[in-house]
Amino acid sequence: MEFEFLIDNALHKISIEKKENTFIVSDGEKTYEADIRFISPNIISIIIEGRSYRVYFARDREKRFLSLEGQQFIVQEPPEGGEGLQKDEARSGEDELMVKAPMPGKVIKIDVSEKEEVRKNQTLAVVEAMKMENEIKSTIEGYVKKIFVSAGDLVDSEKPLMELEIKE
Amino acid sequence: MLKKILIANRGEIAVRIIKACQEMGIPSVAVYSEADRDSLHVQLADEAMCIGPAPAIESYLDMDRIIKTAQEAGADSIHPGYGFLAENAEFARRCEKEKIIFIGPNSKALALVGDKVRSRQTMERAGVPIIPGMKVIAKDFAEFESEAEKIGYPVMIKASAGGGGKGMRVVYDPKELKSSLEAGMREAKSAFGDESVYLEKFIEEPRHVEFQALADNYGNIVHLFERECSIQRRHQKIVEETPSQVLNPELRARMGETAKKVIKVSGYNNAGTVEFLLDKDKKFYFLEVNARLQVEHPVTEMTTGTDLVHQQILIASGEKLPFKQEEILQRGHSIECRIYAEDPNQDFLPSSGKVLFLKDPVGPGVRHDCGIYSGCEVPIYYDPILAKVIVWAESREVACLRMINALDDYVVLGIKTTINFLKEIISHPQFKAGNTTTSFIKMYFDEGEEKKKTDENLKLALIASAFDSLNKTQVRRTVEAAEKEVFSPWLTLGKWKLGGRK
Repeated sequence: MEFEFLIDNALHKISIEKKENTFIVSDGEKTYEADIRFISPNIISIIIEGRSYRVYFARDREKRFLSLEGQQFIVQEPPEGGEGLQKDEARSGEDELMVKAPMPGKVIKIDVSEKEEVRKNQTLAVVEAMKMENEIKSTIEGYVKKIFVSAGDLVDSEKPLMELEIKE
Repeated sequence: MLKKILIANRGEIAVRIIKACQEMGIPSVAVYSEADRDSLHVQLADEAMCIGPAPAIESYLDMDRIIKTAQEAGADSIHPGYGFLAENAEFARRCEKEKIIFIGPNSKALALVGDKVRSRQTMERAGVPIIPGMKVIAKDFAEFESEAEKIGYPVMIKASAGGGGKGMRVVYDPKELKSSLEAGMREAKSAFGDESVYLEKFIEEPRHVEFQALADNYGNIVHLFERECSIQRRHQKIVEETPSQVLNPELRARMGETAKKVIKVSGYNNAGTVEFLLDKDKKFYFLEVNARLQVEHPVTEMTTGTDLVHQQILIASGEKLPFKQEEILQRGHSIECRIYAEDPNQDFLPSSGKVLFLKDPVGPGVRHDCGIYSGCEVPIYYDPILAKVIVWAESREVACLRMINALDDYVVLGIKTTINFLKEIISHPQFKAGNTTTSFIKMYFDEGEEKKKTDENLKLALIASAFDSLNKTQVRRTVEAAEKEVFSPWLTLGKWKLGGRK
């Protein structure tokens, strides 16, 4: 069976077939035999050509979290239709203009107002989480188009705080 | 001996104190906010009482509520842990008034050492070396401005009531003074309920060396040697060790005696830590007294064989110190790594959420002080410290190897943590060489960025994911097939009556 996964926004393909007690894995470059099994719901043991690997594993809705030798991977299935990737890239220009909360937290202060001119690296707002204040800075030179939150609001990660407009 | 201890804290330190209570046969009372109902400390204590909504100011910082809860629970004493009310002299005073034993220093000493400006004056008078800086609180911005000029940039803004890096900022440029002061005051206000800040000369690339002290209620004082806590990010320690690589026996003895003097002139009792900055020329300056059990206390416990929480409880019960200075010895080497819910790849941005899986590090000489478990939620409201890994070994070299192994063996899935970043610090040649200064992370790590993921591990992650997907598909098919063929009891036995057992 063929599978497609997204890791750090890059698409990877892999195929895996069961063959008696082992699996045949093909990653596009090579094909090899692998002995793979769940040791517990959170541990997958893999033996490939005599080398043994322990993969820690957890699933949260559409996201898989894996850890190998201390390295963490978040593995997702690509959006239906497989065109999500291109769309993401096309959107990234607009994304820069949308100022988002970097983590869940509380808006402590909004330092700008709508229509105001902003410099690059100017502090736009302060969001607090876990007792640390984090200054949200402008990545562009331009204007504040619209502000969506006010001081005191609780925000989730990726929640748009304000929209900027590039100086013509 | 104390009869029952209320622990006015949460997370790993509350768990640590509960364990000491259990070992000493003293019942423990956990308090928790509405966000912490499912926290580990609540599950482990003998009793647990909710003290209010999630924001700390309405729960863990609510003095009235905590004192009332102690009285209702019949607790004769309160252990404040670190942070929250631990260094709040007003709280200690209220406890004294209500005849509740505060497991920490007396309120007068706490007020003195908690007031960084006043304690600097006291120490200067007693002949303890201090960092050049303000000895009074400024009335207005103009006074801050002229003081900053006098001290000379760069200057450090510090919270008068502070500690733990909260409210602290370095200002290199006079133009940044005002905004930094405002931010520092805001942070100080939210962390300590007191917005006073002061300025100090910023000593570049210093080492942070502190001495653990214990003082009983009868004037007996000992120190339990140093801890070096130079590896910091945002002025907050993340790696600590003892012994320090730069102290020789003579300097160690001199600093230890100075630490005892600080404790003595402050009229301080119970456990406390005297912090010093050590500059390039090995000159040391008194920084402040941390009037509490420190996050990094375990490294002292590992190398001296003393349980500091037991000692705190014994001292608070009115016991005399069971040892003299010359009986306390340092043996081997110990390192602590703090596990924070932060993303080192994104400038240590806090990372809250659900811990999907936790695998504790285990092995010879490995200790894990931990406040989380598989399935718990890490709320946004509190300090991001999750746990600490502490190792002990005969030598620093082996302790480093042991720590690297322990961190390799430590897995937290679901939220971002500092585990892998810490491993890279300990593996760094400059750390191995003992070249640890407070600028270490800035100097050797670009924005704290971790090493790139290896292709091999990426491939294995893909294989594991594909294997899981394959399994899921097969399970779904089997279930679908089974549902068609088998008469399932789950679909027919519809009525489960609650309370049917009565």
